[in-house]
Amino acid sequence: MAPSRALTRLTLLRRAPSSALRRYHSYDHPAPAGIFNASEQAILSAAYKHVPEHGFTQHALSLGARDAGYLDISTNVVPEGPFSLIRYHLVTQREALAPRREAIFSKDANAATTVPARVERLTWERLLGNRDVNHRWQEALAIMAQPSHVPASFHELALLADEIHFLAGDTSVDPSWYTKRGGLSVIYASSELFMTNDRSPGFGDTRAFLQRRLAEGGSLSNAVGGVTQWLGFTASAGVNVLRSKGVRI
Amino acid sequence: MPPSCEKNLMRIMRQMRRPHTRLPLHNNFLLSAAFAPSSRRISSTARRSDATTGTSEAAQSKSSNPKPRKPLTKEQRDFLSSALRVNQTGELAATLIYTAQTPPLVNAHPHLRPLMAHMYDQEAGHLKTFNSLITKHRVRPTALYPLWSLMATGLGWSTALMGREAAMACTEAVETEIGEHYNNQIRSLLEMFEQWEAEGYEVGPEFRDLISTLRRIRDEELEHLDHAVEHDAKEARPYWLLTSIIRAGCRGAIWTSERV
Ligand SMILES: [Fe+2]
Ligand SMILES: [Fe+2]
Repeated sequence: MAPSRALTRLTLLRRAPSSALRRYHSYDHPAPAGIFNASEQAILSAAYKHVPEHGFTQHALSLGARDAGYLDISTNVVPEGPFSLIRYHLVTQREALAPRREAIFSKDANAATTVPARVERLTWERLLGNRDVNHRWQEALAIMAQPSHVPASFHELALLADEIHFLAGDTSVDPSWYTKRGGLSVIYASSELFMTNDRSPGFGDTRAFLQRRLAEGGSLSNAVGGVTQWLGFTASAGVNVLRSKGVRI
Repeated sequence: MPPSCEKNLMRIMRQMRRPHTRLPLHNNFLLSAAFAPSSRRISSTARRSDATTGTSEAAQSKSSNPKPRKPLTKEQRDFLSSALRVNQTGELAATLIYTAQTPPLVNAHPHLRPLMAHMYDQEAGHLKTFNSLITKHRVRPTALYPLWSLMATGLGWSTALMGREAAMACTEAVETEIGEHYNNQIRSLLEMFEQWEAEGYEVGPEFRDLISTLRRIRDEELEHLDHAVEHDAKEARPYWLLTSIIRAGCRGAIWTSERV
């Protein structure tokens, strides 16, 4: 494709609405995958290779555009500039979990036993996906925290928490559906931040941090569940006491 | 409905009828037909088109080259997730209503025990079906779970305290709304299928299974409605006030949980 035509095509790009979260997932009629179109995909995947050296920057985007055979200028119309590059990282790393699921759990039999263990293992796998850009991640977090990018950043975080629970085989359909995903989002975000300062071999400290947070989260949701059960028990006990006193309820 | 289930149901219905045969069978039928005209009409059309889709499926399996399947549109995915969410919420509420109704009702009227147990078991089965569907298809459950639990329990309990007729009027009102609600979903799915087939696409087992699940559950809900009418739901006083409040409540709940 000639650069000029690529340019007009790119200006027509409009980001697909990002609210695909928790829409019915069909196995027979799957929705077309990917939020990036072909030209974006070409530029972003080429630019991504420059991130370890140049960060999530306009410069990396220009280098990528050139590598992919586009004019430098065409990067101006990658709608959100460096944030698109960050998003590319988030999306590709999230989507990389599903195909690796089997391999991860056959290698690591311990992690495959319970849902919380699988959640921990998959979250760790996702954190390892930051390995190559970890030294650039604080800059990325700063860009993600800009008000215009906050909704999309949160959206990606929520998609990740949902993906991990789905791949871990979580089957909750009650309020714990929300508390589990919300809890993991917070834990993931803080672990990611911890990791940017982690100099331990193989990010061992980050994994220990992650496991501590997950253990705390588990005891918190147990406490919530316990209180709910206690309320239900007290209510039914109260009814029984009243009934035994001859109140007709 | 599988024949064994039908036999079971007939046995239960006979048991139910023996102790107090106030209305002969054909009267019951007329009554329920008169009071739930819309759902009856819709359900019979749904069954008619069953036959046509059945034959087209058979014809399809003969031709060996499989047709393509069209990806769902955004609107279709939204429709399906809110449909599964509201169904799961409704079945949760149904199990809670029967759970709350059963002890006071069975205390006062021991002969209702098998009927209540039978209806509860069916509702528990429906809930299990939708729980697994929303997990499988990655649909978010309702955010107002505690609210619905509280309201359903309150409704079941208070109608049971008001007596057998009120409890049955509650079942009748709820099942009328629910039956109509399932019929609307079945109709929307059939429209989707028609459109796919007109464009040369295949429907596929995922949606064939979904629609037959919805039909089976819809038929069971309408049986509950018939049971309620057989057990003097119409005798509840003031019947019209009770059922119209409950039905309006159901519609409000459906509207809300389709969204939240
Ligand atoms: Fe039901
Ligand atoms: Fe029912």
